[in-house]
Amino acid sequence: MDCSQAVHQLWDYLDGELTDEKMAEVRAHLKACKGCFPHFDFEEAFLEAVRKSRAETACPDALRRKVMAKVQRAMEEQQA
Amino acid sequence: MGPAGREPTGRLLCYSHEREWFVADPSESKREQDLRFEREALPWMDDVYRFAKSMTRDEADADDLVQETYLRAYRAWHTFEPGSDCRRWLFTICRNVFLRTREREARQVDTGGDDAVLETMAAVREASPYAMSNPESIFSRLDVGPAIGKAIDALPEVFRSAVVLVDVEGQSYDEAAAVLGVPIGTVRSRLFRGRRILQHALLEFAKDAGLAAPA
Repeated sequence: MDCSQAVHQLWDYLDGELTDEKMAEVRAHLKACKGCFPHFDFEEAFLEAVRKSRAETACPDALRRKVMAKVQRAMEEQQA
Repeated sequence: MGPAGREPTGRLLCYSHEREWFVADPSESKREQDLRFEREALPWMDDVYRFAKSMTRDEADADDLVQETYLRAYRAWHTFEPGSDCRRWLFTICRNVFLRTREREARQVDTGGDDAVLETMAAVREASPYAMSNPESIFSRLDVGPAIGKAIDALPEVFRSAVVLVDVEGQSYDEAAAVLGVPIGTVRSRLFRGRRILQHALLEFAKDAGLAAPA
């Protein structure tokens, strides 16, 4: 695998979406290639930052109570 | 959300992405179904809220969307296949409810640039000066979370949904495709384009913060 082929598959690789064989090929290329590794490293950090930017958002308690009340009402209607 | 119907024998038939048509458990009482809903669907409320908020970009609209999602989910609970992915099922309902209320916005988007490889290459090229100098510097020296959050909100809806489902909610391309009702290739190109736009916003933020691109 050359650098161009590796970079073409960068995001598929970081998302774990390649076949096992392709994952191993990209991994082997990254071990051997000092030029490609920083790009993968940067994009991996970028994806981690995207994940963290929203991951801690929680449903407000007031909304949680409203949903529970609505579902409870629907349950009672169906029981009736 | 899958459809449901009855066989001539009276057995309830339901549809899921995992197993296509399946027979609902006839021995499960209404009470047991309700308990299962509380146990399996309600714990995903944080995730559904995040997804709803990422689509509406508005607290009040997200509130309405989450309530409507759960109400519809409850009413369609008999069509949910026990053991399949409840979170993904809820995301699908949430997205469908959203689209029905925002059809115009959803249709307006230019989804051009449909080449996932080109998007990947363009993103790598733009980040190259930062990546080659010190890949970690932007992320360790700046609080990039708010800038990325703002950039996600600014994305057109089709890119935003793909980014949120895969990058924030950890769905696979296949799972995101099922939620969005599009082929995997479309998820991939929307996701990669969304990422490239986000990364551009992040690099602009770094420049504004005085972290200039190395020569």
